[in-house]
Amino acid sequence: MAGARDSSSGTRFAQFKLVLLGESAVGKSSLVLRFVKDQFDDYRESTIGAAFLTQTIALDESTTIKFEIWDTAGQERYKSLAPMYYRNANCAVVVYDITQASSLDKAKSWVKELQRQANENIIIALAGNKLDLNAKRQVETSVADAYARESGLLFFETSAKTGESVTELFTAIAKRLPLETASTRTRAAPKGVDLSRPSRRAPAQSNNGCTC
Amino acid sequence: MATTTTPAADSTETCDVLIYGTGLVESVVAAALAWQGTNVLHIDSNPYYGGSWAALNLDELKAWTDRVNDAASNNTPFSDAYLYISRNLDPRKYAIDLSPHILFTRSDFLNLLIKSRVSRYLEFKPLGSFHTFEQDSFEKVPGTKEDIFTSQTLTLLTKRSLMRFMKFVIDWEQNSTIWQEYKDEPISKFLDERFGLDAPQIVELVHSIGLLPTPKAPTELALGAIKRYLTSMQVYGNFPAMYSMYGTGGELAQGFCRSAAVAGAVYRLGTKLIGFDETTSEAELDSGEKIKVTEKIISSEGVIAGDEEITRMVAVVEKDCKEWFAEGESSAVVIFPVDTLDGNRYAVQVLVMGSGSGQCPSGQAIWYLSTQESGEQGRKYLYVALEKLEETILRESTEDFEFDVNEEEISYLPNGLPVISSVRLGESLRNFSPKESLKYLLKLTYSQKVTVSPLEPTADSKVIYTIAPSIDLAFEGIVDQAKGLYELVTGTTDDFFDVDFEDEDDDATATAAAADTDIRDVAEDKDDDVVGHHSDFEEVAGEMTI
Repeated sequence: MAGARDSSSGTRFAQFKLVLLGESAVGKSSLVLRFVKDQFDDYRESTIGAAFLTQTIALDESTTIKFEIWDTAGQERYKSLAPMYYRNANCAVVVYDITQASSLDKAKSWVKELQRQANENIIIALAGNKLDLNAKRQVETSVADAYARESGLLFFETSAKTGESVTELFTAIAKRLPLETASTRTRAAPKGVDLSRPSRRAPAQSNNGCTC
Repeated sequence: MATTTTPAADSTETCDVLIYGTGLVESVVAAALAWQGTNVLHIDSNPYYGGSWAALNLDELKAWTDRVNDAASNNTPFSDAYLYISRNLDPRKYAIDLSPHILFTRSDFLNLLIKSRVSRYLEFKPLGSFHTFEQDSFEKVPGTKEDIFTSQTLTLLTKRSLMRFMKFVIDWEQNSTIWQEYKDEPISKFLDERFGLDAPQIVELVHSIGLLPTPKAPTELALGAIKRYLTSMQVYGNFPAMYSMYGTGGELAQGFCRSAAVAGAVYRLGTKLIGFDETTSEAELDSGEKIKVTEKIISSEGVIAGDEEITRMVAVVEKDCKEWFAEGESSAVVIFPVDTLDGNRYAVQVLVMGSGSGQCPSGQAIWYLSTQESGEQGRKYLYVALEKLEETILRESTEDFEFDVNEEEISYLPNGLPVISSVRLGESLRNFSPKESLKYLLKLTYSQKVTVSPLEPTADSKVIYTIAPSIDLAFEGIVDQAKGLYELVTGTTDDFFDVDFEDEDDDATATAAAADTDIRDVAEDKDDDVVGHHSDFEEVAGEMTI
């Protein structure tokens, strides 16, 4: 899955922010973990990672897409997600659990929240997770699919446990992202100071940078 | 917001530390404790993050104003809020910073932001324009040696004195013999007597570089403040300071809260702490739930610890104000020194935020004015400063300076040249200023309790109260306060943010490479432009070395 990242050969490289939403315990983190590391942990309690995870997709020979994936870190539990979370998000995966009917209702309210808080042109995918527990299914595919169609959402049923349709989900999102504008707005916002690159000049005795 | 969720109905939850209030210091402590392994419950009575540091949209700002003015229920450091908002503004397009602050590029707080990785959630913008208001115009502050050398207005003698001082102040701590006897004396006295600096240079060093409210500031404190600006130049480029987009302190608080959440802290906004029983160690929330707190409660609400009151004004203007910004930047600091506004005893500090800050739509700017003078007097000086700002931006932003004058106001000199009646000119700017007048979309004034000197938090009981934001325009003392609180809980600061992030990812470099273009390019363009200056500079430098 790891896409080549050759910046010298004129290939297109675009980075997008993706946010996860959905009720607690529907498998948001598991989906990401499967997508990013191709792992699954039955006893995963909460969110992974210190900042956010990243994964790169090679859409075709000349186009590479990098997702910067933000997990809720549990802040969704009491509806305490910060505005920072939604800010400049290009795409969102709203997850529900196909074995919990109520989780689809929650997903619908998260879609509303996204439409209120996020960029107008955000791409939203609805993911019915835990497809491996098909025997305990409470949400029919046709019901969720109809909702997704009328709301203009991408729709997949996935299993983070088996990996079914996980890559397909993220690839479908990648294909819908506005690549034409991506080169100029890699993080959907103007670039600021790059803290990983201190100035080459020695501070306090530099001889550059006249400001007149 | 608080009503939309159904909290787990099971009886009593437990946490090690309950933190009440999501202001900046509390949020840093929450993250530090969570990463150390402490079980943290972090709540806030507001439906938003940041407490006194928050940046609010206009709906939130209206609600805030009502709350602050309701003396009976006001538990914030704010009071006396007067808000005007013009009609037809999109409330969500604004982020009004309640306590705007800037971040020096060489500071303990920036180090912590990078070390904790919270900086990765944020977008920082450079701030390189510091102006001092002198004789009705804004002078760009010479913040680097080359600024001083290339200055057209400084005499050689002044340049020499300034260079001596700048050389000294870079490691002033090691040269205590020079300043020891002035330790508690006014910095202006020290600069005058020890370095022979003239009043205009003293004003700039104290007010615009040191960001100090008065030249009477004690020398020891002032030297540290001046040094932080000078050593911050050229760290990431030709600017000493930065700020995070969308809100200076509130965004940082959100970032630390997210970090804490990743480490396992539980977050609940719109939740009040209504009681705490010291004997049972049970805290009661307004939802009716009881929380067993095994260690401490850290609270920023309830007790307002602040030893001074400052006055603030926020004005959203229909002008982009780009005339005041350095190239590629969208903010500036303007300082009105003491005695420039009808006898002001303290400086008026202005932080100007253009639309590039993410705080307002394009074509607009936000002016944040503040002064250490309190009450009616403070508001008076802010209004005088506002008038000066308005005059200046109208003058500077109008290309064809057309006067709207009556025939009677014009007299003619013997040589036939027309002269506009100067008395009338002085009387009212509006009569002769550009066709347009400045449109204010929002005006807000309020008072805020602040701490002047950083105090150590104390814990007499299980409940620790934090202190109000400091008076400084920079994030001074935040890290020390957070460490102080951390130590009260854990007994040490040795493992404060001593985090070994397990998911060390390999693509930090890739992100950096992708982001590497713009600022650097701008910086290099600038270099090209000033080649001529450089050779001058080298010569002068040789001559000037003492």
